[in-house]
Amino acid sequence: MSEIKPTETLDVRGEVCPYPDVMTQKKVKSMKSGEILEVLVDYPLSVERIPESVKKMGHEVLKVEKTGASEWKILIKIK
Amino acid sequence: MIEPTAILSGLIVGILFGFTLQRGRFCMNSAFRDIILLKEYTLLKAVIVAIIVSMLGFHIMASLGIIQLNPKPLSWGADIIGGFIFGVGMVLAGGCASGTTYRVGEGMVGSFVALLGFMLSAVITGSGALSGVKSYLETTTKITITDPGPLIAPSSRSPTLANIIGVDPWIIVIIIAIVGIGALAWKRGGEGKTEGSLSEKIFKRGWPWWATGIVIGIIAMIAFPASAATGRNYPLGITGGWSTFLNALIKGDANVLSWETFLVIGVVIGAALAASIAGEFKLRAPGPGRLIQQFIGGLLLGIGAVIANGCNIGHILSGVPQLAISSIIFGFFVIIGCWTTAYLLLMRR
Repeated sequence: MSEIKPTETLDVRGEVCPYPDVMTQKKVKSMKSGEILEVLVDYPLSVERIPESVKKMGHEVLKVEKTGASEWKILIKIK
Repeated sequence: MIEPTAILSGLIVGILFGFTLQRGRFCMNSAFRDIILLKEYTLLKAVIVAIIVSMLGFHIMASLGIIQLNPKPLSWGADIIGGFIFGVGMVLAGGCASGTTYRVGEGMVGSFVALLGFMLSAVITGSGALSGVKSYLETTTKITITDPGPLIAPSSRSPTLANIIGVDPWIIVIIIAIVGIGALAWKRGGEGKTEGSLSEKIFKRGWPWWATGIVIGIIAMIAFPASAATGRNYPLGITGGWSTFLNALIKGDANVLSWETFLVIGVVIGAALAASIAGEFKLRAPGPGRLIQQFIGGLLLGIGAVIANGCNIGHILSGVPQLAISSIIFGFFVIIGCWTTAYLLLMRR
C-alpha cells in the first residue's frame, strides 16, 4: 500500500473542537463500506481524538501523517 | 500601582499554566461535552485529578498557616443563571475561559475572536449596561453564614460544604478525595504509554491525563500564595484577568491591573511556547459563520462568568477545591448548559 487514493476528502482546517470530530463522524456515517476518507486537520487535540472515535465506530485508521507545521492528514477506511 | 514583582510572579505562573494547558489539551468544554457526545472521559479525569490535588494542597497549606482559604460568596440565583449561560457559551465559543485563552496562543483565530467577545461582555456585565442584572441577582439570592469555620479567612461569609454543617473541612476533603480516586480507579484506561525520550514526552507529545491533572493542581498551589502576596487572596482565575486588561486599556488606568491580568497574558505566552516547540503553532481560521458563532459564544462566556463572579477556572478549578457551595452550584449548571447546547447543536440530526 504505497499510495492510497482517498474516495473523499474532508477539510476541517481552522475548526476548533468538537467540530473536526463531529464533522468526521458525520462524514464517515454517510460513506459506503470499502471507501477511503481523507481528513485534513490542523487542530492537535483532534488529531489525537479522531482516530480514537473512528476506531470506536468500528472503522480502520490507515494512516496519520504530519504534513506540515500543525497540519495532519488522517486516512480512514470505512468498514 | 502594581509592583514589578507581582507582574513577574503573575507572568511566570501564567506561562507554566499556559504551557500545561496546551500540552495537556486541558479543556473543560471538551471534558464535559465528551461525556455525552463521545462517551469519552480522558479530559474529565484530568479535571478530577487537578481538583483533588489542589483541594489537598490548599487544605494542607491552610493547615500550615501559609494561606487562608477564600471561597467565593454564594448567590444561588447568580450561580445558577451565570453557570447555565457560561455552559451554553462554552460550546458555541469552542472552549471555556481557559481553553479559549490558551488556544489564542496556538494561533487559533476563532478563539481570538471568542476572547474579544468574552472581554467585551465581561466589562459590560461587570461595570457597564448589564451590571444591574448582576447586582440584582447577587443581592436578592445571597446566602451568608456567620462563622466561616477553620482554615478560612475570618472575614469570609461564604458557605462551604464544611461550615454549612459545622464539621472540620478535612472530613469533607478526605471523603471527596476517596470518592474521586475511587471513580478514577473504576473508570481506568487512557494512561497509554507514549514513545520517545523524556524531553520528547514533555515537549513534543500530548501529556497523559494524570500528568496534566497533577501539574495543574501543583500550579494552582503555587498560584494561591503567589497571588495572595500581591493582595489578591485567591488562586487561579481567567475572567478577572481579561476584564481588568480591557478596563485598563479603555480607561487608560494601570491601577486596575492585577496579578490575574499578568497571569492570563502569561497563559497566552506559555501556550504559544508549548505549541511552537511541538510544531503545533499556526495562524488558522474557520469560515465566517463559525467565527460569528464563536464571537457570540465568547459574549455568553463573559456574561455568565461575571454574573456568577467566576469562570471554569475561578469556580470549578479554584472554588470547588475550597469546598465553596457557590462554585459547586456554578459547576453543576455549567454542565447542564453545556449538555443542552451540545445536544441541540451537535447530536440532534
